[in-house]
Amino acid sequence: MIIARRRALTMGGSVFAALAAPAILRAAPLQVVKMQGSARGERVWFNPLGVAIPADSTVRFVNHDPGNGHTATAYHPDNFDRVRRIPQAAAPWDSDFLLPDESFEVTFTVPGVYDYYCIPHEMAAMVGRIVVGTPLDTGWEGPSTDTTDVSPEVLATLPTVEEIHARGRIEQKDGA
Amino acid sequence: MFKPMILSATLLATSATFAFAEGHAAMLQSPPGEPFVQVSDVLPLPAFIPGLGTLFVSPDTLPAGPFLAYDHDGMLSATVYMTPLDELKNGVSYDDLAVGTHEVIAVDVYYNAGHPGVDVPHAHIVLYHDAEAKARLAK
Ligand SMILES: [Cu+2]
Repeated sequence: MIIARRRALTMGGSVFAALAAPAILRAAPLQVVKMQGSARGERVWFNPLGVAIPADSTVRFVNHDPGNGHTATAYHPDNFDRVRRIPQAAAPWDSDFLLPDESFEVTFTVPGVYDYYCIPHEMAAMVGRIVVGTPLDTGWEGPSTDTTDVSPEVLATLPTVEEIHARGRIEQKDGA
Repeated sequence: MFKPMILSATLLATSATFAFAEGHAAMLQSPPGEPFVQVSDVLPLPAFIPGLGTLFVSPDTLPAGPFLAYDHDGMLSATVYMTPLDELKNGVSYDDLAVGTHEVIAVDVYYNAGHPGVDVPHAHIVLYHDAEAKARLAK
């Protein structure tokens, strides 16, 4: 009896603690980023193109394109010697090729700006940006300022941090 | 991702022309045999691509092809070519490309942003071999 009650109290305590935490710390839901394409592959894109998430959130990249293979690959020297466009303290990721309906998950712990691309579709500017936390967070690293390793099309596609923070999610319906 | 295809391209380069010279009968039904490989076996693409069906290609003919496109029953339904736009612009031409079979009832030409295997913007040129081919390759 006593043991049972003690356990109940402990559980009640942790539920209370979770409710009391600030929203941005509490809400760490799973975010889904879809890889999409038009029927004949004229256009390909990540949806959302830009998304703001709290630290320790997980993003699941899912291939929703029935006719194509896609990747979600961080701009980082570990991936094909690319110039880093994720925080220095963060671990790079590469989903490798996902076939239709396959998925890959990444958990983001370091606050800052993360740019990634799709290997076969970088030339079509299939890129995305994930913003973790805010500039007020300890260890925040803002967007890369490099303009030598990516095309002008890629740079033009990436939304600004301000836009992503203002809208939360920047949807991309048809790649336009 | 291209390594498997590039390696096999070297090995198979000599036998490519024979397949077409032998006549088209072997290609009418999937699998077409050497030197063709099923694209989804060597590249991260679905086995049946909506709109194109199940593709086979002789690796040494990349990127232009011909790609032989089969329906769900393994019937040759289209011959497809893929020509990078930048290459065309730079003066590359793709001439005397072989066809899967001589009967062609319609041709579609459209833009593709890229996919594994031909990961640059290119044109798809699709020769349909019978009136129902397009419908059978749709999904
Ligand atoms: Cu892609």
